[in-house]
Amino acid sequence: MNTYTHNRSYGRWLRFAVLALITAVALVPLGAVVLLALQPRAGTGETGLTLSTLSYVLTDTGATTWLGNSLLAALISTAAAVVVAAPAGYVLSRGRGKAVSGYSLALFLVQSFPVVVFVIPLFILFAKLDLADSITGLTIVYVAATMSVACWMMAAYMDSIPVSLEEAAWIDGCSLASGFLRIVLPNSLPGVLSTAIFSFLLAWNDYLVALVFLRSTDKFTLPIGLQTFFQQNSTDWGPVMSVAVLMMIPPILVFAALNKFFSVGGIGGSLAGQ
Amino acid sequence: MSTVQIAKGGLQVRSRGPGGQKPARARRSRGVTMGALVAPSLVLIVLINAYPLVYAAIQATHDSTLISSGPYVGADNFSAALSDPAFWKAARFTLYFTLVGVFGSWAVGLGLTLLLRSGVPGRSVFRVLLLLPWVVPVVVSATSWNWLANTHDSPLPTLARVLGFGDVLFLADPTLAALTVFAFKVWVSFPFMMMTTSAALEAVDQNVYEAARMDGASSFQQFFHITLPLIARPTYISWVLMTIFCVNDFPTIFLLTGGGPVDATNSLVVYAYRLVFQDFRPGYGIAVAFLMTAVLSGVAAVLFRQIRKAAR
Repeated sequence: MNTYTHNRSYGRWLRFAVLALITAVALVPLGAVVLLALQPRAGTGETGLTLSTLSYVLTDTGATTWLGNSLLAALISTAAAVVVAAPAGYVLSRGRGKAVSGYSLALFLVQSFPVVVFVIPLFILFAKLDLADSITGLTIVYVAATMSVACWMMAAYMDSIPVSLEEAAWIDGCSLASGFLRIVLPNSLPGVLSTAIFSFLLAWNDYLVALVFLRSTDKFTLPIGLQTFFQQNSTDWGPVMSVAVLMMIPPILVFAALNKFFSVGGIGGSLAGQ
Repeated sequence: MSTVQIAKGGLQVRSRGPGGQKPARARRSRGVTMGALVAPSLVLIVLINAYPLVYAAIQATHDSTLISSGPYVGADNFSAALSDPAFWKAARFTLYFTLVGVFGSWAVGLGLTLLLRSGVPGRSVFRVLLLLPWVVPVVVSATSWNWLANTHDSPLPTLARVLGFGDVLFLADPTLAALTVFAFKVWVSFPFMMMTTSAALEAVDQNVYEAARMDGASSFQQFFHITLPLIARPTYISWVLMTIFCVNDFPTIFLLTGGGPVDATNSLVVYAYRLVFQDFRPGYGIAVAFLMTAVLSGVAAVLFRQIRKAAR
């Protein structure tokens, strides 16, 4: 019996070592980003780890503007995505009939096309409306790009809220809309957060739409701004990685605070016709 | 009022919709409200998704440039794509990329989930740390992988030299570049699979294992005969989602290799992008993207039907 427990705890620590090794290897690329961001810039003569590159990037380059643009686009599109998708998700969850299942199918169809197909027509349309080289235009595209998944996520969560709650309210004279607003929505916080996290990450991480839409330096978001630091022959990695660090902090914070609410399982379920 | 309703019975009460109106009127007002609730998303979908799709479909049937639609050419773009060797090369790479992306990240994700569930100390810390590759923007991680692998003096080639593999340039050799892209994709995607498999395993009733152990099932047998069948449905769903993610994945490949060297890592999405924005042939590029989407939707529809039929 004693050897048995001994073996078990031995195995436990062996598995711990394996897991620690895998985690360490998996985090090498991210550790490298942080370490390089703490390197002094080429030609400054400094040595050792320093925050001077980061402060240089923030004060002497466009990085602060890009950070602001990225935050603005991501936060507004997140808020808009939730506001638009929550009622639509309610309809997908509670509605019956051809119109509702048709809408669900349309969402799936739209989602299955790659972004490359949408960007040119959108760019031409937005150029006419003077929205192409702007954060407003970018934000509108992000909201639309999250719409399918956001609606499914909301619907998937609302499916788990019993209809009897609303029925009780209806009997008390509550309308459908206020049943949604007063009963279902307040009980859907995890679904709302899940949708918000998804929208935030999509907008924050986007590269392709911003690449096509944004032309002037002061309109860049961080992913596009980052590319301006690459030189043809010798890239100074300190500033590049400082911008990269700025880019990875917000999603990590969001995930650290909210990851227990994030569930991807629900979307698949509602897609497969739960 | 309430007495009347009770006298009519529960069902009758239920058929009275919100607001306690009469059924016919209630149904109509219910429809109106539902429509109003869905309207904002519908407007967005139509303007920002459906309209560009129609526009793109028109472009695909024209010999278009970026700003004008050019002469009508019917299905020429599509037939040209089907007899274009670069298209088939990109299609083959997309297939490999997707297979590795789906099953590679699933195997790694499931393996790590099982390891995390085996009573390892500090597992909640590991769980969060291992999600990071997926949480961090691809732009950042691609930059970092570039730094790690790109030039002669980068850490990975240096390591390879020290270990006696000679001069290895990961992103300049076609085979190695493809393998690097595969590794990068698995590294980015395994946390997603970790989340889905751990959610699926969470839902499995532990008593089943108790019973299996009593019957003398080895942990190997338990895994293949209990664990896998019990998480089949969420597993299939995660495979379908990952297939869609992989086929449509632009930045992972574009930022790491740009589709090179000599088109070795050119996937269909990257090929479509390059046709449109580097060769300025939007009609042809969109035709390529449409062909890809047609196959993808077909595959996804079949798989979803299988899931619905199988796991009930």
